Amino acid sequence: MLAAVPSATLLGVQGHRVRVEVHVSEGLPGFTVVGLPDASCREARDRVRAALLSSQLIWPLKRVTVNLAPTNLRKAGSGLDLAIAVALLGASGQLDPELLRGAAFLGELGLDGAVRRVIGMLPLCEAVGASRPVVPLVDLHEASLVRPDARGVASLTQLVLALRGEEPWPQAPGPRRVPEPLGPVPDLAEVQGHAIARGALEVAAAGGHHLLMVGPPGAGKTMLAERLPGLLPDLDDAGALDVSRVHSAAGSLSDVPSLVRRPPFRSPHHTASLVALIGGGSSVLRPGEISLASGGVLFLDELGEFPAAHLDALRQPLESGEIRVARAMVGATLPARFLLVAATNPCPCGAGPLGRCRCSPGQVARYLRRLSGPLLDRFDLGLWVDPPEPAAVLGTGSAGESTAVVRDRVAAARERARARGVDANRQLRGEALDRAAPLSDAGVALLRDRLEAGTLTMRGAQRVRVVALTIMDLEERSGRLTPDELHVALSLRSQDGVLGVAA
Amino acid sequence: MIGDGPPEVLPHEAYLAALASLDRVGPATLRALLTLGDPAAVWERVRAGRLPAALVATFPPASAAVVGTWPGLARGIDAAVLWKRCVRLGVGAVSLGSPGYPVALVDDPDPPVLLFHLGDPDVLVAPRVAIVGTRRATGYGLRQARALGAELAQAGVCVVSGLALGIDAAAHRGAIEAAGAPPAAVVGGGLESPGPVRNARLARDIARTGVILSEAPPGVTALPWRFPVRNRILAGLAQVVVVVESAPVGGSMLTVQEAQTRDRPVLAVPGPVDSLVSQGTNLLLGEGAGVCAGTQDVLCLLSLAGLVGPVGPAGPAAMVDPRPQPVGPAARVLDELGWRPSTIEQLALRTGMGLRGLSAAIGRLEQDGWAVRRGGFVERVARAEVREGKATVAYRRR
Repeated sequence: MLAAVPSATLLGVQGHRVRVEVHVSEGLPGFTVVGLPDASCREARDRVRAALLSSQLIWPLKRVTVNLAPTNLRKAGSGLDLAIAVALLGASGQLDPELLRGAAFLGELGLDGAVRRVIGMLPLCEAVGASRPVVPLVDLHEASLVRPDARGVASLTQLVLALRGEEPWPQAPGPRRVPEPLGPVPDLAEVQGHAIARGALEVAAAGGHHLLMVGPPGAGKTMLAERLPGLLPDLDDAGALDVSRVHSAAGSLSDVPSLVRRPPFRSPHHTASLVALIGGGSSVLRPGEISLASGGVLFLDELGEFPAAHLDALRQPLESGEIRVARAMVGATLPARFLLVAATNPCPCGAGPLGRCRCSPGQVARYLRRLSGPLLDRFDLGLWVDPPEPAAVLGTGSAGESTAVVRDRVAAARERARARGVDANRQLRGEALDRAAPLSDAGVALLRDRLEAGTLTMRGAQRVRVVALTIMDLEERSGRLTPDELHVALSLRSQDGVLGVAA
Repeated sequence: MIGDGPPEVLPHEAYLAALASLDRVGPATLRALLTLGDPAAVWERVRAGRLPAALVATFPPASAAVVGTWPGLARGIDAAVLWKRCVRLGVGAVSLGSPGYPVALVDDPDPPVLLFHLGDPDVLVAPRVAIVGTRRATGYGLRQARALGAELAQAGVCVVSGLALGIDAAAHRGAIEAAGAPPAAVVGGGLESPGPVRNARLARDIARTGVILSEAPPGVTALPWRFPVRNRILAGLAQVVVVVESAPVGGSMLTVQEAQTRDRPVLAVPGPVDSLVSQGTNLLLGEGAGVCAGTQDVLCLLSLAGLVGPVGPAGPAAMVDPRPQPVGPAARVLDELGWRPSTIEQLALRTGMGLRGLSAAIGRLEQDGWAVRRGGFVERVARAEVREGKATVAYRRR
C-alpha cells in the first residue's frame, strides 16, 4: 500500500516542501529511505521503528520504501521523522489515509514516541503550503506566528488518537516565559557626554549609514554601539517576518511570543570563524552572524583584530544586502541587510595621537593596514570617540535625549526615505540621488574644491551627498544641499581625520 | 682566486667599500684595520683570516666579537663587483683625504673613513642646519618641521636631516617644496634604497636636487647600531642642530650629544608640557639649549638674520593674513579651540554646540585654512602658508 503526506525541510532560512511517500509491500522485511536524505535523515528508520513500538503501534514486517520527493533536493535533519511515521501508519493500514488528507507533519521523534522540537519551524510552516501543519507541541507558538491553524502534539500516541478523533487535539501550553525578544535595549539617555557621538548615532540610524568608531579603550565605543538598535524604528510586517525567519532557522526564536519586531543586535567576537560570520555548514547551511543581524545592527568590536579574509567577505553582502552561500551539494541565499558598526583602537597602544602614543609609525601603519581600503570605503560615517571629560560624567548636566525621542526623529527621517522609494537613504544611487539631493551653488563649489584638492573621491562625494541628505531629513528641511550639511557630512566622512597616520 | 681580476685597476675606495660591507665594521674598526696598510692589502688579509690578535684587541668589543665571521663573509664579496654596483647605481664614494670629501667633516673628531653619496655633494658648501626629531611626531611638530625646512631652504640654508619618518621627512619635504637651497640627508643603510620604504619618493626628490650621504656601502641594511653612528655625521655636518620634537631618550637626543661634543649650537622647539614627544625638547631648553620659535632664531646663529625677509613665525606680524576672518559660530569655535589640539567632543563640551552646528563650523574653518583635523583632533593653524598643498605655491611666488 502507498501513503503520502506533505512535510518540509530547511535549507538556509527557507523551508522547502517535501512529499514523504511510503510504500509497503510484500517481500523481505526491510526499510529503505531514498531521495537524497542526509545521515540524520537516514537515521529516521531507527527512530521511527522504536517510536512506533513504544507507542504500541505495529512495525510492519514487510518491505518498506520511503521516498522523499522532490528527489533532487537534499534533505537534512530529523524534522521528517513524524511525517515518515504517519505515512508509514497510513501505508500499513493502521491509520485511515482519509484522516491524513490536508495535513502536513513536522517533528522529530524520540525513541519513546515523543514528538520533539525542530529548528526553523517558522520557515518550515510557511513551506507546507495549503496543508494544515501538525507540529511538536513545544513549537506550536512559533508555528502559530505564521500559521494560526497549526496544531501541536506531544507524542505519537496523542497524534494517532487525535487523528482518529478519539481524543481532542492538545491545547498549546499555558503562558510561556515571555522574555523581551532580544533582551532589554539600553537607553541613550544613560550616555554621559558624547554629544557628538550621539548625533552621529542618530545620523547612522536615520540613513542606515555604516559607522566606524575610532577611539582609545574605555572611551565608550561599545556602550554607544549597543544603543544604536534602540534608535531604529520597529520592523514592518515584511521585515519582521524576514528577521523572524532567520532567527527561527538559527533555533533562537522558539520562546518568543510574537514575531521579532525590534531590530536585532549581534556582536560576534573577533575569533568567530568565517562560517560563523557568513553562514554555511556542509548540508544545513545555518545562517551566520551577518544574517542574524539582518534588519538590525552588526557590531564588530576591535575591527582590526578580525582576520582580513573575514572582513573582506563582508564587502559583497554590504553592497547587495544578501549573501549567497554555496557548497558542493547545496546553495542558499541568506539575507544580510545589516547596519554595520565597527570599533577600533587608533593604534596598538590605544592612546592615540597628541604625543601620548608610544607606538612607532610603522606599528600604527601595520595596525591600520589590516583594514582594507575597500572596506573602509563602505563606512559613510567615521567618528572619533574619546573618553568623556570628568565634568561631563560627574556633572549634574542635564541628561541627553532618551532613545524614544531620537527614535521618533529617526522614524520620521526613514519615512521621508521611503517616499523616495528606498528603506534608508544609504540605498540611494545615481539618478535617484541626483533627484533627491540636488546641490546648491555653494554646495557644488565646496565639493568641487575638495575634489580638485584630491581630498575627496567621486565615490566619496556621492556618499557625502547622501549623508547630507539624511541630516536634512532629520532636521525636516527640504531643498538643495547647502555647505552647512555638506560640511557636517564631510567631517563625518573623513577617514583621514579619524585614522591619523603620521606622515 | 679566478674571479679576482686585475686588482690594480680598482680605486682604493673599492676595497674600503668591501671592508665596510663586513658585519659590524664602523668607522673606528675601519680606521683600526687601515693601520695594517693600504686597503687592498688589508682586504686580502681579512679574506685570508690573517688579522693580528693585537689589532683585533683594539677593535670595539661588538666588532671584535664577530671577527671570526669575516673571512667567510669576505669570500662572498668581490670588491670589483661591489664597485661596479656603485657605479651602476650612480653612487659615488669619497674617502677621507681625497678631493670631494665634505670639508665640514675633515676636522671632525670621528670622521667617516669612507662616505657614499647619491646626488650632488657640492650642495654641502651652503650653510647647513640639521633638523631632527621623533618619528612619532604630532601635527604640531610636523608643521614646525615643514615650515622650518621650507623657510631655511629659502634663506639659502642646506637643510640636513636623517630621512626618517616624522620630523625628518617633514623637514625634507618642506625644503624641497620651497625650492630654495637643496637639502641633504644622511642615512644609516646602503644607498640602493635609502631610508624607509614610505619615504622612497622623498629620497628620490632629495637625490635629484640635493644629496644623500651614507657610510654604508650599497646592499648593507640599516641595522640599529648604524643609526647612532649616522647621527654623528648629521651633527658633524650641521652648523646648527634644531630639535623639533623628541622624547627624553632617543636618536634625536644622541644627535644632540654628538653636536655638543662638537660645540655645535643646539636649538629646541618648545612644545606642550604634557606631550611625550615634547618632553625631550623642553628638557633641552631647561638645560640651556636655545629656543627655536621660528626661522629667524636659526638664521641669527648663522649670522644670516635680516638678510632674508620676515618669514619666521616669530617675525613681525606685518604680513596680511589672506584667510577670510571667521564669523559667527566658526569664530566662537576658533576661540574655544585656542592653540591646544582638541577632540570634537571636547569642543562640543566647551562650546555647548551639537554635532551639526559644530561640524559645520569646523568644516568652514578647515575650508578657510584656520584648522586641520588629524587623528581625531582638531588643531589650529597659525599661518595660511602652512596649509598642505598651498605651501608650494606660496613659497614659489615670493
